[in-house]
Amino acid sequence: MKLNTLLFNILYLTLLALGILNCNNSDNKLPILGERDWTKKTVDGKEVVDTIYNTIPSFSFVDQNGDTISEAFVKDKIYVTDFFFTTCPTICPVMKRQMIKVYHAYEGNPELKILSHSIDPEHDTPKVLKQYATDLGIQGNQWLFLTGQKEKIYEIGQKSYMVTAKKEQSAEGGYIHSGAFILVDKERHVRGMYDGTTEEGTQKLIADIQTLLSEYKK
Amino acid sequence: MLAVCCQSAEELKSEQYFVEGYQLYTTNCSNCHQVDGKGMLNLYPPISGSQTLSDKALLACIIKNGMRDTILVNGRKFSRPMPPNAKLSDIEVAEIVTYVTVKWGKDSIYTKIEAVRSSLANCKKY
Repeated sequence: MKLNTLLFNILYLTLLALGILNCNNSDNKLPILGERDWTKKTVDGKEVVDTIYNTIPSFSFVDQNGDTISEAFVKDKIYVTDFFFTTCPTICPVMKRQMIKVYHAYEGNPELKILSHSIDPEHDTPKVLKQYATDLGIQGNQWLFLTGQKEKIYEIGQKSYMVTAKKEQSAEGGYIHSGAFILVDKERHVRGMYDGTTEEGTQKLIADIQTLLSEYKK
Repeated sequence: MLAVCCQSAEELKSEQYFVEGYQLYTTNCSNCHQVDGKGMLNLYPPISGSQTLSDKALLACIIKNGMRDTILVNGRKFSRPMPPNAKLSDIEVAEIVTYVTVKWGKDSIYTKIEAVRSSLANCKKY
């Protein structure tokens, strides 16, 4: 009985704390995800603590049109990113079916881009990706399919976008990778991760994109 | 289910195959061909409406061995390779063939394992 009460109190306090956090977040801002670090610096003679958030580093990949795409492409944009490969028989078709919904929800919005990285860049050349995009009915440059140096793609995936992507002989298609859709803001901070294989995850992302975009409408 | 008592053995088996086939289709095929069998844009071909539904031997071979060819389905061209499903047993292939041919083709009875077995022994190499 006592333990029950204690557990109940802990639960109650936790919920309360979460509730308060939510209330403080009057702007309904999305969290900044990933590891963070702190540095001390001096402002006006006072020592203040500065938070260093996980930030997507500079990158350089090649898109389905053969153009080099770097972080400059998403300057002043928010973007959604994921990892896939064109010959994947398992979750990729599902992810692409869901991503199409995200694409259509914001089609033509100059503030939103989609970057899909291939984790099988040796096979997925720009030409292969071009055909894939065309078959998906994607034109223009709002949704780019990226290929490039394999190590670089895996590195940015694992270290910065916090997703799993690796070669695995035993897996169908030869790779295991995450089904996550990752939402990145204009400061290149990760602001949300969603299960791209589910309708719930996709709808949450579509709603959160709106929330994030409205942060910039001041 | 209610009518179990009065169904012929053949009908019962057809239903079993259909239900099993539906599960297997959902697991192995629907990611690309979709639950409704309509395929996905120009990436993956539809099954519903496809002429291949009337060629069960070919169907069994494609399910088991995949395919690598440019095909025309319902007037649209598809050339993306389909991966093999080597782990499927003969009965599982028979169940999937049953499901797709009853669901989207003109069949009403199940496809026998023996038929699948002999089809698979004679698949053309690609």
